Amino acid sequence: MRKFLAVVRHEYKKVVYKWTFLLGTLLFPIIGACFAIIPAIIFSIKGEPTRIVIVDRTNKIAPRLKENLSAEKITAKGEEAVKDSAKNLSVSQNDQLRQSAKQAAAVFLFVDYDSVGKTADQIRSELSDLAVSKEIDAYLLVPDNVEAPDAKFEFLSRKAGDFVAGDLIKEALNDAVRSQRLSDAHISEVTLKQLSAKVNLDAKAIDEQGREKDSDMLLAASFAIGLMIYITLAIYGQVIMAAVVEEKETRIAEILFSSARPFELMMGKLVGVGLAGLTQLGIWVASIVALLAFIAVQSNLSAMFAGLPHITPLMVFYFLLFFLLGYFIYAAIFALIGSMVTTVQEGGQFAFPPIMLMLIGFYFSFAVIRDPNSSLSFWVSISPFFAPITMPVRILAETPPLWQIALSVGINALAIAGLVWLASRVYRVGMLMYGKRATIPEVWKWIRQG
Amino acid sequence: MSENDVTLRVRNVTKRFGDFTAVDELSFDVRAGRVFGFLGPNGAGKTTTIRMIVGITIPDEGKIELFGERMSARLQDRIGYLPEERGLYKKMKIVDQLRYFAALKDVSGAEADKRIDFWLERMNLAEWKNKKTTDLSKGMQQKIQFISTVLHNPDLLILDEPFSGLDPVNVEFMIDVLAEFKKQDKTVIFSTHLMETAERLCHDIILINKAKKVVGGSLREVKEGYCKNRIALRATGGNAVLSDTKLVAKMEAHADEKEIELASGADAQSLLHRLIESGATITKFEQVEPSLNDIFIEQVGGHDSNA
Repeated sequence: MRKFLAVVRHEYKKVVYKWTFLLGTLLFPIIGACFAIIPAIIFSIKGEPTRIVIVDRTNKIAPRLKENLSAEKITAKGEEAVKDSAKNLSVSQNDQLRQSAKQAAAVFLFVDYDSVGKTADQIRSELSDLAVSKEIDAYLLVPDNVEAPDAKFEFLSRKAGDFVAGDLIKEALNDAVRSQRLSDAHISEVTLKQLSAKVNLDAKAIDEQGREKDSDMLLAASFAIGLMIYITLAIYGQVIMAAVVEEKETRIAEILFSSARPFELMMGKLVGVGLAGLTQLGIWVASIVALLAFIAVQSNLSAMFAGLPHITPLMVFYFLLFFLLGYFIYAAIFALIGSMVTTVQEGGQFAFPPIMLMLIGFYFSFAVIRDPNSSLSFWVSISPFFAPITMPVRILAETPPLWQIALSVGINALAIAGLVWLASRVYRVGMLMYGKRATIPEVWKWIRQG
Repeated sequence: MSENDVTLRVRNVTKRFGDFTAVDELSFDVRAGRVFGFLGPNGAGKTTTIRMIVGITIPDEGKIELFGERMSARLQDRIGYLPEERGLYKKMKIVDQLRYFAALKDVSGAEADKRIDFWLERMNLAEWKNKKTTDLSKGMQQKIQFISTVLHNPDLLILDEPFSGLDPVNVEFMIDVLAEFKKQDKTVIFSTHLMETAERLCHDIILINKAKKVVGGSLREVKEGYCKNRIALRATGGNAVLSDTKLVAKMEAHADEKEIELASGADAQSLLHRLIESGATITKFEQVEPSLNDIFIEQVGGHDSNA
């Protein structure tokens, strides 16, 4: 037992006392925090106002456009956009940033310009000169034939890359022109607003206790959990494999085997690296909790995350439990592979099947999110290899009855026992076989002979 | 411990890998407080036997007794084993590796640190304590590995090719360290293919070839078993006696002496007697002790003896 603990301590330190562990552990919360906090910071920065000249000889569009581009209207629009994007996972972070930025930079300063008695070409060249001398940033030419369907608006900006201003002007102009066309058709603004009001569909799931859950936020949270377990399993599986291969490659195994039993050594390794993984997950979970707390006090962000599912301490426990189950399943497989091969590179080729299994599990979690109570969800959340990823997702989406969780734990525990048994048999022979990679029939022989 | 205590007893041990018999019915004893040479060409079964002794593998047949008990995991802590294929963790500090190896032998904490400092000092490697393996030369790594095998103060030291990769200065150094072990009445088994070294250090030897024991016993006994028929002679006259094929099977003339192989049935005493009778002047008459190298080559048959 003392030796086993020595191995555990050794393996734990080997992973944790490394700058890559520190980097990986810190990087995840920092990246996460950046995605949550940077939009908030950008919110607070007001960009430089865009000085714009609107030339509208019909005077039909300019007043509406100016109103649409007013600070209040833009802010209202921006908030709506952020809410939408939070609900929609397909909107990339980039788009989110863009939308947030819109609100920031969206200050327009309208510059007066007297266009009376000037030809279009004259106006163009005069305004271009103004832009070149940096007195204005952009100008918009409203054509005289606004009503015509092929009316062509001209927008020229000194800030060619300013997509924010460009997008906003385009939207505001569209709105203004549409309003004008409607009013020309004698449809009043009020009627128009009533008729074109957006349907407000607020999709929520109802859990067994009859409480409402926000399905969009649930999707996001479930996805995050599934991804986190998948990534951690993949990383720590490879850590195990590299550690096993190192001891085989450097022949340290021979010294180890002359000091302790192979089973003790292998289990010590699995447990030590597992604890390291748990440490990392623990730090992440803690930082997520801290992040949520931060979000809760930021009023403008709390609306965005209001629909986040309620995570109970029991869920955190299940989450860590299933992580451990998955860890031991895959770690045993990786240890087995590590003791078969001669170099880490060779191991990399063999790592494909278990990584594939994890990935399939991860994909199954989408099916589970969509319908946590389907029979597919049931089967994938109790089957070994997939359950460690799919069950936590299912628990978060729609906690299944306790017997199903217990069944899943039991089945996976059995799978672990079997895999550890197999791995330890391969380990104690394979670790002393130098020079060439073991073939599958050879491995099979080792397992049978034990 | 008395000279007659047996530290290790190997009885009829056989180990097979599939159809291949790596060790065949091997038996020998290693006495306490002696240096035991385990000799043989590459592939003879040395490493396989050693692995069974240290409990890494289990014999298919036969039994191994250590300190009067059947080999078990508990007894592993009384053995210090330096494998032929050796390694260290590449990116770990020397002191951390040594602590780990010590902990695996049930030595930990302050006691381990004390011994690590002592041995690093003894090996002139104290300044490398906090360096990583990759910063050390091959010879230094070798010495670190040796430290890892003696940290738990084992009663039996098993060294598989301990001098390979060491420069001559360090070989002498290691021989001195081994001499200290000898003084402490600890048993040392080492395998080597360097017969000169074995001859210098070993009290007892066993020579194995193709999984089987060829010859074994104390160095003296082994040599005596081979030295009866060779004589170095420096003499003038007596040529008639020397050409008697009943006495002399073969004669080689060296620069100033002759090497004689006695015919079977003839003995050295009668040859000497006949030479004196014939009136030859004898300035040297010596039964030649074969070197271990000669015995090795004779027994292993030269082939595969590049080792």
